[in-house]
Amino acid sequence: MGIAETYSRGRQFAIERPFALVLAVIVVILLGDLLRGLATGQTQFADIGTLVWDGLMRGLVIGLAGIGLSMTYSILNFANFSHGDYITAGAFSGWATTYLIAGLGRADIGALLLVGAGGSVYGGTLGIGMLSTPLAVVAGIVVSGAFAIALSLAVDRTIFKPIRNEDGITLLITSIGVAFALRYLMQFVFGSDVRGTTAQPPSVSLYFIDGTVFINAHDITLLVVASALMLGVHVLLQRTKLGKAMRAMADNKDLALITGISTERVVRATWIIGGGLTGVAGYMFILWKGTLGFNDGWLLLLLIFAAVILGGIGSIYGAIAGGLVIGLTASMSVLWIPSAFSRAAAFVVMIVILLVKPSGLFSGRATA
Amino acid sequence: MSVDANTDATSGAGVEGRDDVLLRVRDLDAGYGDLQILTDVDMDVFDGEYVTIVGPNGAGKSTTMKSVFGLTAHMGGTVQFKDEDITGRRPEDIIHVGIGYVPQNDNIFPTLTVEENLEMGAYILDEVPQDAMEAVYERFPILRERKDQKAGTMSGGQQQMLAMGRALMLEPDLLLLDEPSAGLAPDLVKEMFDKIDEINEAGTAILMVEQNAKEALRRCDRGYVLANGQNRYMDTGTALLEDEQVRQDFLGG
Repeated sequence: MGIAETYSRGRQFAIERPFALVLAVIVVILLGDLLRGLATGQTQFADIGTLVWDGLMRGLVIGLAGIGLSMTYSILNFANFSHGDYITAGAFSGWATTYLIAGLGRADIGALLLVGAGGSVYGGTLGIGMLSTPLAVVAGIVVSGAFAIALSLAVDRTIFKPIRNEDGITLLITSIGVAFALRYLMQFVFGSDVRGTTAQPPSVSLYFIDGTVFINAHDITLLVVASALMLGVHVLLQRTKLGKAMRAMADNKDLALITGISTERVVRATWIIGGGLTGVAGYMFILWKGTLGFNDGWLLLLLIFAAVILGGIGSIYGAIAGGLVIGLTASMSVLWIPSAFSRAAAFVVMIVILLVKPSGLFSGRATA
Repeated sequence: MSVDANTDATSGAGVEGRDDVLLRVRDLDAGYGDLQILTDVDMDVFDGEYVTIVGPNGAGKSTTMKSVFGLTAHMGGTVQFKDEDITGRRPEDIIHVGIGYVPQNDNIFPTLTVEENLEMGAYILDEVPQDAMEAVYERFPILRERKDQKAGTMSGGQQQMLAMGRALMLEPDLLLLDEPSAGLAPDLVKEMFDKIDEINEAGTAILMVEQNAKEALRRCDRGYVLANGQNRYMDTGTALLEDEQVRQDFLGG
């Protein structure tokens, strides 16, 4: 192939897909900058390793919480804005349990149940951690899931079920109302202060080329719990009759009705599975980052929406993949831009990917 | 030969006196929301019979079928199946009595595999009936070949076969087919009609709506001509094909 031909092909490509070309140039510039940083010693490989690990953890939380959002979207056909506050509610219920078990006899029960509202008890003082108080943490995980299930079923029964056949916008706006009600109820009960919840967890240091990457016990816990639950959802959807019925209903609601699939049962299962995962995601999020505030779920919701839309709304694998992309982007963007803009970077990447693949990574069709 | 509201829907087609009626529709009024489409529709399907409904667009052919399956608003009249009154029942109840329904459009689950689609056909059973699935695979060998493929990636004809296979999973006594040949290439249309013949010969009664009226009437036992939501003619398929009036008004000469 001659130079002229290469040139004309390149020209052709640039004309047909100018956007892809611009994108490629930007990626090259960013990589070049990164390599320069590595060459001059300004950036260390270990820093990158740390950021990737951090992004992976964040991505797991987002992905786990995103599955529920994606499921309710594909099966119930609405974007549930109260999802973020299910996360927070799961977190508070779980952490109240953890505080209670870890601090029983050492602090006032009321203070423990309010997760140390107003600085009455500190998680660090109680020495809370996966290795130091395993029972309290495991019980907290279970309660967070159970409470979020109960909450999402109760909200569905009282609020969403009566308006099930309204259009998506009505449901969406209602869910925003539910979100506010839940959030300020939690603020009223637990207070608005952000509290530290865990003692410093023990960590292992991995030597990585030119430095160390620290991986702590809570990272590992998050990794194990999130992977296990994601695998569980996968098996449920692919192997069980209920899971297949859920996918069938997401695919074609009218046909599901004709084949005798009990739609209310599938809806209930959707809230149970989605709610449980969401509650646990909330608990794990707090365990991993070590602080808890009434706004945590709401703030995370935007990233979750970004992840779910990026993955192709309605696809649970898309939610997981989208979560990882958003998490990694938010963490790794600090290599190039100030950390205050890391959320913005996540959204920019979402927009860019959607420009290239408008239907999302997993083409947003169904819970598959 | 013309059927008005007073005469028996089966008079004059060699079915008087048959007592093995499977589906009996009488004076059915039905529609969608407040809009009435059908007026006093009478229809019978006997055990193992192959019955076709033809008529112009908007005649209420599909609506009749949907009404039997409980998918429309019931406004009057009765639907009986095997001496059981199923008037106004919901689809999830009706599949239990032995009626299978294949809608015209969106009749598969596109992201489920072929086998999963068939499993969903037997959702109301506790166990997937392996013999019924085997029978479907025997009837449609292409489905066995493609059993792990996502249904939405198959061709239109294969999807139509899958839709029929799904409806056969419960081994219904009566299969309702809404325009099974719609959108198929000409050579596939013949194959589709052959398959329907085979299903019927195996003992399943068929009630079918077809745009391809001549071919459908050639193959069926009996046909109903509907117009404006009412019965117009009823006779054997061949008799309807030979009837001058029917040919001129409904079969394009």
